[in-house]
Amino acid sequence: MKNLITLIFIAILSINSFAQTADEIVAKHIEAVGGKENWKKVKSLKMECVMKAQGAEIKTTIVQVNNKAMRQDIALMGMNGWSILTNTEGWSFMPFSGQTKAEPLTADDVKNAQDGLEIQDEFIAYLEHGKKLEYLGKDDVDGTDCFKLKLIDKNAKETTYFLDADSYYVIKETQKIKANGKEMEETSTFSNYKKLPEGIVYPMNVGSGFGDAEVTKIEINPVIDESIFKPTK
Amino acid sequence: MHGLQLQAVLIFKTPYMKKQIIHLILICTTAFLNAQSPVNSAMFGMMEARSLGPGTMSGRISAIEGVNNDEGKTIFIGTAGGGVWKSTNAGASYESKFDKYCQSIGALAIDQKNPNIVFVGTGESNMRNSVSIGNGLYKSTDSGDNWKKIGLDSVEHISKIVIDPANSNIIYVAAPGPLWSSSKHRGLYKSVNGGDSWEKIYYVNENTGCADLLIDPTNSNVLFISMWQFRRQPFSFNSGGVSSGLYKSTDAGKTWKEITKGLPPKPFGRIAMTLAPSDPKQMLAIVESKNTGLYISSDGGETWKSQSATLNVCARPFYFSTIAFDPKDPKRVYRPAFNFAYSSDGGYSFSDASGDGGWVHSDMHAIWINPTNTNVMYIGTDGGVYMSVDKGVTWQFNHGLPLGQFYHVAADLKEPYNIYGGLQDNGSWMAPSAAPGGIGNGNWHRVNGGDGFWTVPDADGKTVYSEYQGGNMYRTNLVTMKGEFIQPQKTGKEDKLRWNWNTPIVTGAKNPKNLYVGSQYLYKSTDQGRTWKRISNDLTTNDKKKQAQEESGGLSADNTSAENHCTIFTIAESSLDENMIWAGTDDGNLQYSTDGGTTWTNVSGFVTKSGIPAQAWVSSIQPSQFDKNTVYVTFENHMYGDMQTYLGKSADLGKTWTRITSKEFTGFAHKIKEDPENKNLLFLGTEMGLFATLDGGVNWFRMKSKIPEYALVRDIQIHPKTHDLIVATHGRGIFILDDIRAMRNLTKEIWEQDVFLFPTPEITLNTGKFGWGGPEVSGGWNTGNPPSYPSINYYMKQRLNTGKITVEIFDDKNQLVQSMPGSIRRGINKVQWNLCGIPPKVAEGSTKMDGAGFAAPMVLPGNYTVKLKVNDKEYVSQIKCIHDEANKDLTLEDRKLVYQKAMQLQSLYNDINNTIDTISLYQAKMKKDTVTFSKNKNAKAFYNDLQKVKSEFMATTKTSIFADEERLREKVSKLYGSFCGMESKPNSTQLESIEDLKKEYATNRTAFNAAITKHVPKNPEFKVKREIN
Repeated sequence: MKNLITLIFIAILSINSFAQTADEIVAKHIEAVGGKENWKKVKSLKMECVMKAQGAEIKTTIVQVNNKAMRQDIALMGMNGWSILTNTEGWSFMPFSGQTKAEPLTADDVKNAQDGLEIQDEFIAYLEHGKKLEYLGKDDVDGTDCFKLKLIDKNAKETTYFLDADSYYVIKETQKIKANGKEMEETSTFSNYKKLPEGIVYPMNVGSGFGDAEVTKIEINPVIDESIFKPTK
Repeated sequence: MHGLQLQAVLIFKTPYMKKQIIHLILICTTAFLNAQSPVNSAMFGMMEARSLGPGTMSGRISAIEGVNNDEGKTIFIGTAGGGVWKSTNAGASYESKFDKYCQSIGALAIDQKNPNIVFVGTGESNMRNSVSIGNGLYKSTDSGDNWKKIGLDSVEHISKIVIDPANSNIIYVAAPGPLWSSSKHRGLYKSVNGGDSWEKIYYVNENTGCADLLIDPTNSNVLFISMWQFRRQPFSFNSGGVSSGLYKSTDAGKTWKEITKGLPPKPFGRIAMTLAPSDPKQMLAIVESKNTGLYISSDGGETWKSQSATLNVCARPFYFSTIAFDPKDPKRVYRPAFNFAYSSDGGYSFSDASGDGGWVHSDMHAIWINPTNTNVMYIGTDGGVYMSVDKGVTWQFNHGLPLGQFYHVAADLKEPYNIYGGLQDNGSWMAPSAAPGGIGNGNWHRVNGGDGFWTVPDADGKTVYSEYQGGNMYRTNLVTMKGEFIQPQKTGKEDKLRWNWNTPIVTGAKNPKNLYVGSQYLYKSTDQGRTWKRISNDLTTNDKKKQAQEESGGLSADNTSAENHCTIFTIAESSLDENMIWAGTDDGNLQYSTDGGTTWTNVSGFVTKSGIPAQAWVSSIQPSQFDKNTVYVTFENHMYGDMQTYLGKSADLGKTWTRITSKEFTGFAHKIKEDPENKNLLFLGTEMGLFATLDGGVNWFRMKSKIPEYALVRDIQIHPKTHDLIVATHGRGIFILDDIRAMRNLTKEIWEQDVFLFPTPEITLNTGKFGWGGPEVSGGWNTGNPPSYPSINYYMKQRLNTGKITVEIFDDKNQLVQSMPGSIRRGINKVQWNLCGIPPKVAEGSTKMDGAGFAAPMVLPGNYTVKLKVNDKEYVSQIKCIHDEANKDLTLEDRKLVYQKAMQLQSLYNDINNTIDTISLYQAKMKKDTVTFSKNKNAKAFYNDLQKVKSEFMATTKTSIFADEERLREKVSKLYGSFCGMESKPNSTQLESIEDLKKEYATNRTAFNAAITKHVPKNPEFKVKREIN
């Protein structure tokens, strides 16, 4: 009986005092998105996405090897472009704004984009990657109560994650980027989380300043011909 | 949650009551969960207000700090009522960093050893009548992205924060303390642990606070403070007293000695002081006394010498309390005050800034000089931030800070409507609510000068009434902007007229031709102020003790009409009866007349029975628009040190009152507004936030919707035609929350459902009211236009975590017209349909972008069905789209013709793309095995022939965006695009060229067929199955 009272007491306090630590929130998040073990098995990914706006569509394909390389292809208004990023180099061919040949990314851009090469959920291996975790309290995202966590990487780059306090899914992420003497903030949103056959839970909708991309097809651990990570044009 | 914790602990001590206890705890928890209304701001998060600024006349700046070792690029601006703004590009653009907290800022400090650490002291300390209050000290460890309150909650005003340059954990805070009351919460505070805890280390008495604070950068044990005895009352100001003084410590604040040598005899008022960072023995002080003057010390503040100085250096010491040395040069001194003055001889003589580059706003309170390039500096004025690159000789304005300090806002009935409002020290202005390209600084036009307050358009559409402080009112022609002075004058039948600083000018809610203004008497005009009729006797308490304004100021006389008292402060005509008039005064009287002003009834005695203080200002009156006997009134008592939110309601013409309260409320109340269509929807504006209720005042919530959460909300209007909520803030300019019908229509029956699709109002088919309008002007403040037609709105009880939402439009033949992804958030969601169908697909492989893939013609008038699909559930409503009769360039017949031709072009476009896709399929098949292909002559010939055809269909060679390559697809696309956006009858050549393009397609198509006929028999393995339409 006494235990029951204690339990209720603790439950009340924890509801009302938001006494969760960052580690507890991360643990619950990892559990919610399929567990560390399943995520650790994710080594590569192939994904097709479509962005829709008033009936118009923009299609992209993303091929990625965890922490190694990534290629994105985009078809827009009858033209095709792509970008490639590896640990050491990057190129982009974006003819939409008049680019006539593939151009290398600057060293700064390559460095800043490195965390994008991580396929695994950012909270799986943040300690191994030498990132520092901070809990910033609760915040409201589009009417949803969220835990706010910040990861700071070795280059002092900060990413803030907003985790739905009910589901522990990340529903929003903001990242501060300092490049070419400027400071910029990028925001992404995540929704329509689905459990994949591999046991991980993945957002099938990713939003950015340009609109929402819907994941129409996703393959985990496909065999990837790594020659695609070289510029073709 | 201390209450619950305490309860639980107490319960634990009585173990024999276990069972009941568990029960009790469960009830407590349930009660706690149920007590909260389900309605809150989160439901309306997708309704985002537009911040109209303006940035052209900004607002009062109270603090500026920059990061020293950052090439002068990172700058923080603290404002009187607009929070904290940060620039990372030396002022080219700013970002608001304090939207969730108190907006009145007194001081800023950056830890220069770790510039990510920033302190913000809330509560401005430029102690004018309209100064706001703070609620504590805040700290950020990530350069302003996140903030934590770290104490000093009750000091109300903070004037300086100093971080020990030798040890960043040691922080000093100067707190003048409350302006309107005695308080023990004033003095000098110190933290030795980075702000985790605070100790008050110097205190004089309840009426004397710490106004200024200096630290010797070469020896941080040496500190200087100035203590200031001051107090405001609603009707007077006193700066000065024997408790004011200048003090020095040489042991980091443990002990203090008063400095008097060479200073004038006491009493003192406010003292502003500075020392030269490059030679800290050199000091300057402006000492307010019976002979206010400038004093110089060359021995580290031990002895002082009087130095003659101009009026500009010494004027209004309570308001201008900033003086600074150049960080490198002990001879160079800056005095931002009434105007900007600088000295090159250590303060012995001063020059005024040059006028080159234009007018610089007077009344200056803050300066930051870049210590690594001392030519560059920023000042904060009553009208925004200016930057100098020549040591303060000339100045450039920063146009991107929307900090207007509005007192009131009004709107006319034009389309688009205009908003009008008056600002603290920045005159009266107007701007359209929408304009080509959106609203920028250039869309704002000045109506009047001085301090602006009520700015009210006349119903004739040609006239505006406005004023400057003390009831100096004008009728202005909106075309010529010429104004006539129309203030009623005293005749033999009246006492001297008393006009409030912020004198009400009001037009009738029932009869807009009625114009009312109030001194202690109420005046009415029905001919735009050409003749006035006094329709009341003195409606105030006429307390003579509160009318000695000429003695106001203390040591320095300060009587600028800001302390005028026993005046009428608010007037309201009932929208149901023009003979029913309400008037409220600044000394607590609330009176009404039901006979157009012949007789008056004072109900203030009844008001006080509800717990509202007798002398509180009547800040706004809202006669109900649904019931003549019902009235809502806000009262505010902050000038007596009482910051509570007072909102009263009477349903019996003021005989009995209910005080409406909410635990959500913060700040003293300025404005109550009842929605004109839903009597249960009310908005309340206070010094610290905008609040709303959907149930007539039982449950309230703080409005967010991109409006700063603690905005100083002075006035609220709801536009009768557009249903926009117009909010005037005192520090963040004007906000417009477009079309609040979704909020108005949200009832309990709806918010209890999981999903609810609102009916969409009728839509007039057009592409909007405005064209593009060109790019935004650089460096200014800009906001977009409202949507030109209603959105499709739906309510979601919870955010959708799994699955998706689609909004589909079907025509009356149940054909799919459009499909759009829907947002998934909790509360009101909005999807904007572009009134068009689905654009055609664009074949890939071109060297030119083709816009047709984003274009489709606007639908024809008719009834459309909206299907909201939330995973497997479907919700249906109707939209009626009607022809735009207002567009005389486009008859209904023209519209049908445009649509028909656009669809013909779309069909042609589809044929072209299908052909291109087919060619690409053939080519891909041939090139699938590149080795075989390179050896196969036939295949190569086939490929090249197809490529030739393809290159006639679309651009395939020119890659530069500056080299036009126009083939058939580009031509069709261009013409198709022009038909898609067409809102007039097509011209004859446009119609003719469609036929030409069709012929060109036929020719190209023949060439394609010929290539196929020629090559496929030789290369049957490359034949593709695809059928062409």
